[in-house]
Amino acid sequence: MIKKERPKIYTKFEIDAVTFYGTMILFIPLILVFTYVFDIETIIDTNLFLIILLIITAVITIIGTIILLIKKDSLKRQVEANYIYEFYYLVTIVVFGILGFVVLFDYLGGNRTYIANILILLVVIFVYILLKLGSKFFNFDYRKKK
Amino acid sequence: MNKKPFSDESLNRIIKYLVIILLGFGIILLAIQFSDFWNWILRAVKAVIVPIGVAYLGALIIFPLIKYLEKKGIGPRGFSLGLVFILTVGLIFSAFYFLTPLIINEIKNFFIDDFQIIVDYINNDLRNEFIFGSDLYERMLAYINETNIIADTVDTIVPNLILSMTNLLLPLLTAIALLPILLIFYLNDYEVISERIRTIIPAKHEKNVAELTSRLNVTVGAYLRGQLILMIALGAVATIAYKLIGLKYYFLFGFLVGITNIIPYFGMIIAAIPPIIYTFIATSGPGPLLVLVVNVILQFFEGNIFQPLIMSHQLSIHPIVIIISILFFGSLFGALGVIFASPIAASIRVIYRFFKDLRKEKLKTTQAEASAP
Repeated sequence: MIKKERPKIYTKFEIDAVTFYGTMILFIPLILVFTYVFDIETIIDTNLFLIILLIITAVITIIGTIILLIKKDSLKRQVEANYIYEFYYLVTIVVFGILGFVVLFDYLGGNRTYIANILILLVVIFVYILLKLGSKFFNFDYRKKK
Repeated sequence: MNKKPFSDESLNRIIKYLVIILLGFGIILLAIQFSDFWNWILRAVKAVIVPIGVAYLGALIIFPLIKYLEKKGIGPRGFSLGLVFILTVGLIFSAFYFLTPLIINEIKNFFIDDFQIIVDYINNDLRNEFIFGSDLYERMLAYINETNIIADTVDTIVPNLILSMTNLLLPLLTAIALLPILLIFYLNDYEVISERIRTIIPAKHEKNVAELTSRLNVTVGAYLRGQLILMIALGAVATIAYKLIGLKYYFLFGFLVGITNIIPYFGMIIAAIPPIIYTFIATSGPGPLLVLVVNVILQFFEGNIFQPLIMSHQLSIHPIVIIISILFFGSLFGALGVIFASPIAASIRVIYRFFKDLRKEKLKTTQAEASAP
């Protein structure tokens, strides 16, 4: 008899780690995307702003990692049937994060002519990452979803 | 072959339905005869229903947040309500405070910088670039000038538009003015009010009505919350994307995307038309193809990511059904019908499913009773 392979259900610790480090990777683009609309570059030097954001990201990452490690045991004991809301959160920040990376490209002096190309490339890369993450950690297979 | 005659029971039922239909026609006839009187009554009812309806919809959006705070131990009700209320008012106020000047500024700049360019384009360039030839363009222009068709249309449409806007705006403005007070009282005594309403219903139907109301509240509430999040998210994404590609009036066009997204499927198409036309005419900025690509990507995100993620559980209706309901309710109730077509369709589905479940349950009970010794 062929045994049907059951998907592995991850603990809250693993899911929290994925969402937290995902947020931290996209933190600078996420902030940039909103400040860009309000023309922050007219108020503060963009390089200085980026350094401040980098420091803030590093500090939050360290604090978050410590909290995750402290709570590791209790989080490892928590298991949920699916983590659909965590995945929704990840998708939402990725959508804004993609745009944020384009803003970062602009701030770092990239050629504006290639913005559309960069955007499409980033969409493809991030959609692929999301599909992989969704099927591996969040029990969410987009291709099978009907 | 002998035909099965009608039983007394089915004959009684047919007569009952016929009497109800006849009575219905009678009431409609009476209403037509005394239309002025009914209009008077309807106006009074509308004046009450609109603010209460808006407060009810507002409560459906806010109440889960209060419940969430209470679950986390932030209470009593007055405190959690005050917290949510201050937060909501603060958000609305800051959105108006920061966004309104930006949008007004862009509208002003449009009329100063670009309006004349568009007029000149229609008068000069369009004549030369007209797809069916400049001869046809001249004939059309001559026809427009001779028949005065534009002025006549404007003369007919504008007064009607003002009248319908006044009819819609006045009750809406009253509702907005009363909304904070109504919301505070309604949210503070949410359970008490629901309980009081339940006591009006005959005891025989109380359980079913309570179940149906709760299902409808969940569906409509989820739809409203989802739609609000969707509008904000898409408006923000569109504004950022438009600015990134260098579109001049990115706030205005992004705001348009957010607002028009209240109409499922058609909203994004409607919102894409003005920026595409603008980029087609404008001398600087991105080309219409780039704007079209951005809108297609936005449409992809809306249809494949935001819409299913935010709405799927509560509103998984087939797109064809939503489009049909938009056309149907739009022709019935105008703009409001178009906006509320999806929740109405979802509510009809909830009611249908409820009665289906009820019938199934009844059948099960009858079968169980019959099989019992």
